[in-house]
Amino acid sequence: MDDDLPTDFQVIVVGTGMVESIVAAACSRIGKNVLHLDSSDHYGGLWASYNFDGLQKFIKEVNSDPKRQLQVYNLAEKWYIEKESAQDEKKEEGGEEKPEEAKAEPAKKVWSQANFSAEYRKFNIDMTPKLLFSRGPLVELLISSNIARYAEFRCVTRVLTWLNDRLMPVPCSRADVFATEAVGIVEKRQLMKMLTSIVGYNEEEMNNEFKDWNDKTFKEYLAHKGLTPNLIHYVLYAIAGGTNNMPCLEGVKECKKFLMSLGRYGNTPFLWPMYGSGELPQCFCRLCAVFGGVYCLNRPIDKVQTKTVDEGKTVVTIDSKSKTLNCDHLVIGINECPKDLISPEPAESSDISKAVFITNGSIMKNDKEPLTLLRFPPQSDDDHAVTVLEVGPATGSCPKGLFVVYFITNKVKDAESDLMGIAEKIFDMSGGDQTAESEKPKCLWSLFYNVKDTSAAVASVADCLHVCSGPDAGLDFDRAVEQAEQIFKKICPGEEFLPRAPDPEEIVFEDDVTHGPEFQREHDDEADGDAPKE
Amino acid sequence: MAKTYDYLFKLLLIGDSGVGKTSILFRFSEDAFNISFISTIGIDFKIRTIDLDGKKVKLQIWDTAGQERFRTITTAYYRGSMGIMLVYDVTNEKSFENIKNWIRNIEENASADVEKMILGNKCDLEAKRQVSKERGEQLAVEYQIKFIETSAKDSLNVESAFYTLARDIKAKMEKKQKEASNPAGARSGAHQIRANEQQRKPTSWLSRCSLL
Repeated sequence: MDDDLPTDFQVIVVGTGMVESIVAAACSRIGKNVLHLDSSDHYGGLWASYNFDGLQKFIKEVNSDPKRQLQVYNLAEKWYIEKESAQDEKKEEGGEEKPEEAKAEPAKKVWSQANFSAEYRKFNIDMTPKLLFSRGPLVELLISSNIARYAEFRCVTRVLTWLNDRLMPVPCSRADVFATEAVGIVEKRQLMKMLTSIVGYNEEEMNNEFKDWNDKTFKEYLAHKGLTPNLIHYVLYAIAGGTNNMPCLEGVKECKKFLMSLGRYGNTPFLWPMYGSGELPQCFCRLCAVFGGVYCLNRPIDKVQTKTVDEGKTVVTIDSKSKTLNCDHLVIGINECPKDLISPEPAESSDISKAVFITNGSIMKNDKEPLTLLRFPPQSDDDHAVTVLEVGPATGSCPKGLFVVYFITNKVKDAESDLMGIAEKIFDMSGGDQTAESEKPKCLWSLFYNVKDTSAAVASVADCLHVCSGPDAGLDFDRAVEQAEQIFKKICPGEEFLPRAPDPEEIVFEDDVTHGPEFQREHDDEADGDAPKE
Repeated sequence: MAKTYDYLFKLLLIGDSGVGKTSILFRFSEDAFNISFISTIGIDFKIRTIDLDGKKVKLQIWDTAGQERFRTITTAYYRGSMGIMLVYDVTNEKSFENIKNWIRNIEENASADVEKMILGNKCDLEAKRQVSKERGEQLAVEYQIKFIETSAKDSLNVESAFYTLARDIKAKMEKKQKEASNPAGARSGAHQIRANEQQRKPTSWLSRCSLL
């Protein structure tokens, strides 16, 4: 059924990860003829979201054929609950006998593995969970390109940190600050002075404030400013997301990014995509398709060659399912890329340790469903910080009553050793009675895995080949956006990167149109988009 | 902002390539029909506001953008959809057989309570017909979905199809609202991002940075 796939394109993109998808959209948008392929049957590659069933398939695939998914390894899945629960049986026996009692106070649900399978579609579990800074490059790009109309977001409702052996909210809004007793008045003044100078920082004209701090750590700078240990903790770990060794200027940049994104959409500087980060590459794919890009999944490629044709022009030929595809430029995700196309092979950099947990409650109870960023400070001086994201049912990530929690850090040993210690601090990993009242939520299911960090720029062997790197360990999508724009500029020098796509109302068709019979219709006087009325 | 509608429904068109999804969309939204095959290039969705029992219902109807061609519709396409038009071509047996596959695809990706309707399009081409009306009706009964034959070209039943689907969604929605103690839907709180966020004065960072 793929037989009628055309064979000649200006740009062929292989892999539907974030970078590849942005490049595909950008090329298609300015009129390039684009084919977009993926070897698997779903979008996203290493950036995909899976429902619970899809995730099981992915785990099976990686574990049974480790060679195919070279980027992911050490995958370890564990259940902390029974296959079938006693509650399920009860329901079957006397389901409708006591409806009133059931209504009165629903007992805490006892989850079984069978429940997870039954509700598999309600899960959207991210392989690469990431946040957007409200004024970061991805938000600006989504708005300026009009791709924002394909996605919905939720605001991260709180930022937490781990201080003095417990979870503490980091005050982000004025209201938070008034509510918190953690920061005294004198401290507030100190903090304000320091943050003012941070926001004043800009790279071009290294101002006096930071000129002597090039080779020192951010922590030293904060201490020099006379900040109390608590304040240093908030700024260094929670706001800058740093470690004790974080260079001063890096810390300043990270802080500035955080501060500049405050006050745009919600209480914190962050947005989370509904249904998970895996939606975002698809939004770019949609735009690519709207402008004529051709899509074909489940289409592995076998061989890539470049050949020089007349006038020294180089074309790329790709063998795929006994068909030869031709293009001027090949954009290919590192996970789809034959090894011989990369030169030199990416250096063995620090890989990423990740974990996903499904729990029966939030790590810190709240009346309204929270959406949480927790930056777990490094446990020792040479340790890494751990990013923790907790998302609930309102984000479309899981069924009601559950939370999905992601851990991300730089790999030291392996994912489980790197992250289990922290999991035990915030979850009950014992697997005991789910109805028991406890401080910490019960962990019902966990998955640990390592991912190769291929986010360093990858050089390819020819000018017409563009290799896209995989996900980095960072909190946001900034590097992916930056890389996509660089690749686009190489393919289409001088062209605008994702100019605004017109709204449907703005498109006027000039084809010959034959009018059908007249009919009365309501006049659509709407010109203001989709703002729901209030 | 003035009230411009009471309800907003996101509808999808689904079905094989060439069955006339885009033509149906154009017939309904623009009352136009382009005889030459309209490729789906550049068409994202169309909007038309209709009046249903005194309520203004804004229909946002999404086209597949050609991603159905190799069965590569994004899961994101299905998000938040409340109604789906499953379209086949009465002159194309294969497109009719594929309706079952599309229903499976919908069950996998769309919300469980999405309203569906089957359209047998191109019913003006009687001479070329491969799928009888009875078979269409039978399939619809099997899945308990409403069915109607349409012709985007002759403007036959396109209006009534969309009105029927919209009316069913509205009824379901109002029933739900009555039952639910909390009128706000589960998805309230999610929003699209826009450039025109509340205009603050040229911001000194202090007005934004509410850390203090």
